[in-house]
Amino acid sequence: MTSLMDHQARETVGYSFSESTAGVKQHGFYPYTDNGGSTLGITGSDFAILAGDTRSTSGYNINSRMVPKVFKIGGDDETGEGATIVLSVVGFAADGNALKERLDTVVKMYKYQHGKPMSVSACAQRLSTILYQKRFFPYYVHAILAGLDEEGKGALYSYDPVGSYEREQCRAAGAAASLIMPFLDNQVNFKNQYIPGSGEGHALAAKKPEPLPLETVKGLVRDAFTSAVERHIEVGDNLQMVIITKDGIEEVYHPLKKD
Amino acid sequence: MGSPFDINGGACVAMVGKDCVAIACDLRLGMQALTISNNFPKIFNYAPSTYLGLTGLATDVNTVSDLFRYKVNMYRLREERHISPSDPGQPGQLIVPFICGFDSIGCIDFAKDFIVSGTASDQLFGTCEGLWEPDLGPEDLFETISQALLSAVDRDALSGWGAQVYIIEKDKVTQRLLKGRQD
Amino acid sequence: MDKLVAQYSRPSHQNESYSEQEQQDLTESLPPLSLKFALPPVANPSAFLRAMTDDHSNPSCPIKLAHGTTTLAFRFQGGIIVCTDSRATAGNWIASQTVKKVIPVSRLSRGEDKPTNDPTPGLLGTMAGGAADCQYWLRYLSQQCTLHEIRHKRRITVAAASKILANLTYSYKGYGLSMGTMLAGVTPQEGPALYYIDSDGTRLPGNLFCVGSGQTFAYGVLDANYRYDLTEQEALALGRRAILAAMHRDAYSGGFINLYHVKEEGWVHHGFDDMNPIFWKTKLESGEFSNVTSEL
Repeated sequence: MTSLMDHQARETVGYSFSESTAGVKQHGFYPYTDNGGSTLGITGSDFAILAGDTRSTSGYNINSRMVPKVFKIGGDDETGEGATIVLSVVGFAADGNALKERLDTVVKMYKYQHGKPMSVSACAQRLSTILYQKRFFPYYVHAILAGLDEEGKGALYSYDPVGSYEREQCRAAGAAASLIMPFLDNQVNFKNQYIPGSGEGHALAAKKPEPLPLETVKGLVRDAFTSAVERHIEVGDNLQMVIITKDGIEEVYHPLKKD
Repeated sequence: MGSPFDINGGACVAMVGKDCVAIACDLRLGMQALTISNNFPKIFNYAPSTYLGLTGLATDVNTVSDLFRYKVNMYRLREERHISPSDPGQPGQLIVPFICGFDSIGCIDFAKDFIVSGTASDQLFGTCEGLWEPDLGPEDLFETISQALLSAVDRDALSGWGAQVYIIEKDKVTQRLLKGRQD
Repeated sequence: MDKLVAQYSRPSHQNESYSEQEQQDLTESLPPLSLKFALPPVANPSAFLRAMTDDHSNPSCPIKLAHGTTTLAFRFQGGIIVCTDSRATAGNWIASQTVKKVIPVSRLSRGEDKPTNDPTPGLLGTMAGGAADCQYWLRYLSQQCTLHEIRHKRRITVAAASKILANLTYSYKGYGLSMGTMLAGVTPQEGPALYYIDSDGTRLPGNLFCVGSGQTFAYGVLDANYRYDLTEQEALALGRRAILAAMHRDAYSGGFINLYHVKEEGWVHHGFDDMNPIFWKTKLESGEFSNVTSEL
């Protein structure tokens, strides 16, 4: 249909693949599985929250109902005690685990060599290069990194599978990202909200986003996940919520629907 | 290349409130990346309180809406009364708020909360599930469906460019045009 | 046959832990932005990568990378204007509306915008195509430019910097990189200089470039109104207007207008502004975009 019109949505900046792109080759080598699940991060003026569900799926099967997706990075022991940075990974769980182990090692080595914990901004840049090292055999993961920056403000960095990254106020990743993200735009960044009575028609002033208090954000995270669970089969079982404040990292679990 | 459902883009959503329903759509018509028109409503009116929203390939949206208009006109001439959404054989008056959705080969989906369709359907599921609550009055329902639609289409490259909302109550229908992002 | 045997007869524990090289990388305090990349264990790595990541030839590929852009840059008597949108898409999904597609090069500060009106010395690079490719390689270029500055005690020319990048992309030709970038800078040797470099290895000097899925729309506005002797204000307005047109018509461009001006002393940031209020202001005040209804 569209080829008749000779209009293709091809970007002008193409890939530099050497062979022609006509026809997709079938491969015997398929090293990835999508393990489903979703993660979500929101920051405030003095905290950051990273959350994820704990279901692990492959296809229509549920592998496990208790596989956490949010990890503490650079802690002193197995429990992650003393960590200041948190990483969430969603996509292919094996790649996610490998990535988490690698970043954990890097952050620990940094601490041993410099005698101080790594800053979030430095860790964010390092994670980007780690992901890009596998540009030609990517980690099948969407990572989100959270912590507190040098000023004590909540910091959240989101990544694509090969390491492009950006600091943001809120971000949803994984299977239900498309369900959660527009809800977050509306409720966290007040997109499409106007101040009533500020003007008529085109003069109406848009509502400015401002950092939300911790309790509001906790409520939004739980709402976002209960909504996602209703409409997405790969999300459910439990909600793991990790809250980073200057007093340390608190981890809580809430039950979600198990159907 | 690409599914016919994703060529022209567009989104549509309907919601149930207390003694009212709302239906809304975006206004975009595109040829994949290129926006051809920003005045292509996807909601069609067939009787005083019967509205149909259609998304997908624009030529089929036009064909189906015209074919349906023909069938509805024939029905009205034969039965000498307006058609109603559920058509239980009663006079065409909205007694119970009623919405339903279809897939492209006609499987019906009765819903007590909301129905979504189009290229932004995932996003709409998320926003509607998050914002909708039972027994909203007409004004609250208008605000809810508008926020749900605008936020959803702002995360979809193929829909947006303004929106239209119909609030259908027992005795009146209000039509509103929403100012949406123009990118 | 021997090749096949060799491929599959590695001891299975070989990759169990980090190799010596990897261990060394992990313990080094400053890992270099290296040119060593992991490759999949198949005969044709680029075919594998394309099957996994190229959503043009395979819309249901598992790994969707961020794309879609309109970027522009043009030379005029007062320097160079660089302007971009801020949208990243993965398929039809808008992954982000707040991407910073102008990347400062040749200072490792990354120009994390402190509100200053003083020009910051250095070049500017733009980002189109794969977001990660542009971010990584422009950062690599920053490193090379800074080293050049230290070695030679003067700033690198835009010609030399663009050549480093073009040689780099040329050496990776066929591997599947995706980037279309413009390098802009004003140096004492060259004056205002603008180069286009892409992942095929192309390197072109020029007066005026638009890159990305919305480039045709931007060219339309730019070609109609461009003159070399524009004033600074006119040039800034033209850059903004061209991006606005592209954001409006191209589904894969949108978000915020990111505007920079490169002068002799360095670059100045002229705002990262939401396009929507600017669009409605343009429409209502000057009567452009009459295709959009404004009757509420």
